[in-house]
Amino acid sequence: MKRQTDGKSRKARNPIPLSVDAPRSVLRAGQATSLLIVLFLAALGYLTYTLLTEASYYVAMSGTADYGIVYDRTGDVLFDGSRPLEEYPEGQFADVGNFIGDTSGQMSNTLISRNLEDLTNYSFMLGMSQGNASWETTLLHSANRAVFDAMGEKEGTVIACNWKTGELLVCVSKPCVDIAKGYDDLANMPSGSLLCKAFYPMVPGSTQKVSTLIAAYETCGIEQINAMQYDCSGSWLNAKRQRINCHKEQGHGTQTLVQAFANSCNPYFAQLVQSEQLPLSRVIETFTKMGYAVNGEKGKRLLMDGITASPATVTLADPKDFDTQWSCLGQGDTLISPYQLMLWQTAVASGTGKSVQPYVIAAKTDAEGNRTEQTVRQSSEQLFSATTAQAVRDVMTQNAAAYYKDSLGDYVCGVKSGTAQIIDHGEEYENSLLVGFSMQETCPVAFCILIEKRTAGELTTASLAKVLLDALQDMT
Amino acid sequence: MSRTIDPRRSGSHPFLLLLIVAAHTAMLLTVGLTAGFTPEVMKLGCYVLAADFVGSIVLQLVQRQACTVDFVLLLVLGISTIYQSCFGGAVFAMKHYLFGLMAFVMCQLSYLLVRNPYRAERLKPLWYVLFGILVLSILLFTGSRGIWIDLGFITIQPSEFVKPVFVLICASSMHTQLQKKEWKGLHYVPDNLGMLICTGVIVCLQWWCRDLGSLPTFLAVAAFGLLLRLYYLREKWSVRFMVVFGICGAVLAVAALKFAPAYVQDRLNVDIWADMSGDGYQQCKALTAIAEGGWFGKGAGNGTLHTVAAANTDIVFATISEEWGLFSALMAVILVLFLPAAVLTVPPRSYYHAGLAVGVAAVFMVQMTLNIFGSCNLIPFTGVTIPFLSQGGSSMLASGILAGFLKAAQAPVLSSAERSRKKAQGGRMQKA
Repeated sequence: MKRQTDGKSRKARNPIPLSVDAPRSVLRAGQATSLLIVLFLAALGYLTYTLLTEASYYVAMSGTADYGIVYDRTGDVLFDGSRPLEEYPEGQFADVGNFIGDTSGQMSNTLISRNLEDLTNYSFMLGMSQGNASWETTLLHSANRAVFDAMGEKEGTVIACNWKTGELLVCVSKPCVDIAKGYDDLANMPSGSLLCKAFYPMVPGSTQKVSTLIAAYETCGIEQINAMQYDCSGSWLNAKRQRINCHKEQGHGTQTLVQAFANSCNPYFAQLVQSEQLPLSRVIETFTKMGYAVNGEKGKRLLMDGITASPATVTLADPKDFDTQWSCLGQGDTLISPYQLMLWQTAVASGTGKSVQPYVIAAKTDAEGNRTEQTVRQSSEQLFSATTAQAVRDVMTQNAAAYYKDSLGDYVCGVKSGTAQIIDHGEEYENSLLVGFSMQETCPVAFCILIEKRTAGELTTASLAKVLLDALQDMT
Repeated sequence: MSRTIDPRRSGSHPFLLLLIVAAHTAMLLTVGLTAGFTPEVMKLGCYVLAADFVGSIVLQLVQRQACTVDFVLLLVLGISTIYQSCFGGAVFAMKHYLFGLMAFVMCQLSYLLVRNPYRAERLKPLWYVLFGILVLSILLFTGSRGIWIDLGFITIQPSEFVKPVFVLICASSMHTQLQKKEWKGLHYVPDNLGMLICTGVIVCLQWWCRDLGSLPTFLAVAAFGLLLRLYYLREKWSVRFMVVFGICGAVLAVAALKFAPAYVQDRLNVDIWADMSGDGYQQCKALTAIAEGGWFGKGAGNGTLHTVAAANTDIVFATISEEWGLFSALMAVILVLFLPAAVLTVPPRSYYHAGLAVGVAAVFMVQMTLNIFGSCNLIPFTGVTIPFLSQGGSSMLASGILAGFLKAAQAPVLSSAERSRKKAQGGRMQKA
């Protein structure tokens, strides 16, 4: 190409025929424009998605939409967006406020906030309608209230579902906000009033031994594990000379697994974990199948009608190390939500090794009057084998029959208790737990009960379980 | 390769005009059915369809000079007038309509001005002079650190007119890039130096005016101008260079945010739902209006957002969404997007025009981004307009001028250049 930069002719003034020599540069300009357009369209797509998913929230915040009513399984009102909540009797909503939630936007992980668009007379497609939406839930309000009242001043949570159908029957968490009173006194509300503890991880204590037992059965077989005997003298030194203490200082002596399970004997289970017959890799495999996030892996969040629960977490590094053994005993790094503990109980109670998918909204009626029933009853993948489930069910049933007859009365149950040792901001205390299930034909319930900072002589988890089961006898 | 719409060959010209008239008629019928066929609605219909009719005749008469940009512009301006006439009740927005017509005329004038890349490049000193005049007018006549010149009967926003001038300054030809000079052993291109100085002046001016909302638009034009200049002779994009360029941009952005004035910091950190009657007022209202409008809107004239300040300018996307629905608002935005996108289907024939097209695309895209995503609380809220859809005479005229640049980028090059191309092609064929 000949370059000309001076001269008076037209050609000299226009020295480079641009169209011929600059195609690549022009192409790049097109690429730059394309990039801009693609980025803009992608952002526009994101904006549309955001608007679609949050439109109900915007309408809720603006106060222009009307909300419907949430009923329990008997028609009792759990929330009413169509009229002031103050018009209801005092305490009507005090027991389930942080589970059912409201439209204030103060709580995010509640049934209403997660399904807000289905309770309004508003939809992005149709705008505002004249009627009111409503939900029929599976909760039994009277049972929730009975449990709530029985807890008295104690804080904690109780969650229970029908292990055959997945219907959630009770979900109480104390302290609990009374949505009828509003949030004017938010600063003075007790910590935890705005969240339902059933869906948040906590130290499971010896209820973790159910999982350890399942892993042992899955790995070695039921007969072999049941035949294993270990000695407990009140404390035990592991291979690394680290000490594991038993809650019974004088020890339990030589025990079988069923006895150790009933005694909640730490040295027995620590020896079981250290045993070469129980390879840690198999334990990790079983725990992973059950839904644990092992050794910092990212687990799958649990979901129930939009409400989320964090997956259980556990650290299993070295079977001869205190931390791993302590984790298998339900202390240390192990964290599980009561909801997930209850799920495993449904898998045990049914004897299938599959947990049922709990649900709380049985039917929705939109503002136009269209009713939709939740008909899908899902169960999980195989968490553990049916044989294991049945064997664990037997162990837990024997445990209940032997040690909880006085507390639970004539109910045919399986239970496992636990005590979680907590150090929170320098304060040491113990939480009391009970997981289990009822085999009553009229009341097939799996449950998890947590009483925080329980001390001797106070309300026990077993007596609370009795209140729960009694209240659920009215279940229709 | 066909580079323009040639209706005499394809017959697409009347068909496109028919589509425009059909779209406007459908919208006008919707307005009539919703708000009633009142005298104002009839007036709106007559004016919009009259503009279509006159526009059709004009475009038919200058068929060889008509480009996709013309048709899209005609369609967008009609839609915009209908939108603006319905906010809060169907009353014909005569002022917006007139500015729309003027924007169309400005589009044709600016097209005539820059369609010859050689002439446009030779006129570069004039662009610098214009730039200087506009900057001085902002400094001298906009009052105390403001952005508006109030003439009594009309207010003018000179910074809007800086945009097309700055785009002209940022566009460059290969010839200009080859004009390197040396100063104390340092080689530089005077044109590039001019562009950087102008960018610096704009940054200082915007800071002084406290109109930082427009700054991203100017910086985007400068960034793409710089990018094209740096790459004018290279075979392909260098990933390493792009990464460094991106990191530099990100560092600058972070630094700018860190040292931004207090009122900007407030906007960055505001929780709109916690301050619904304060700093978050407009965005909360806008989001609620979009939600209430849903996919298909409350109906023309049935919205409530028109009572909020800047309903027809800074949060116009939400106002359209409320009355016409999110679907309609998105379609309108995508329609505006067709203007810069049209250049992709008919690529510019000169490097200079390519630079113009990218500059205009940057202006349009950044402005729409700031307006739409700002009003929807995805980014800090700034007071910029959506080209052609927002009300505002200065913005409308400046957008019209920018559309003219796009048309020039789409239009056939001058016969001399065409001859050069054919000559070159002929030479190659002979060699073959």
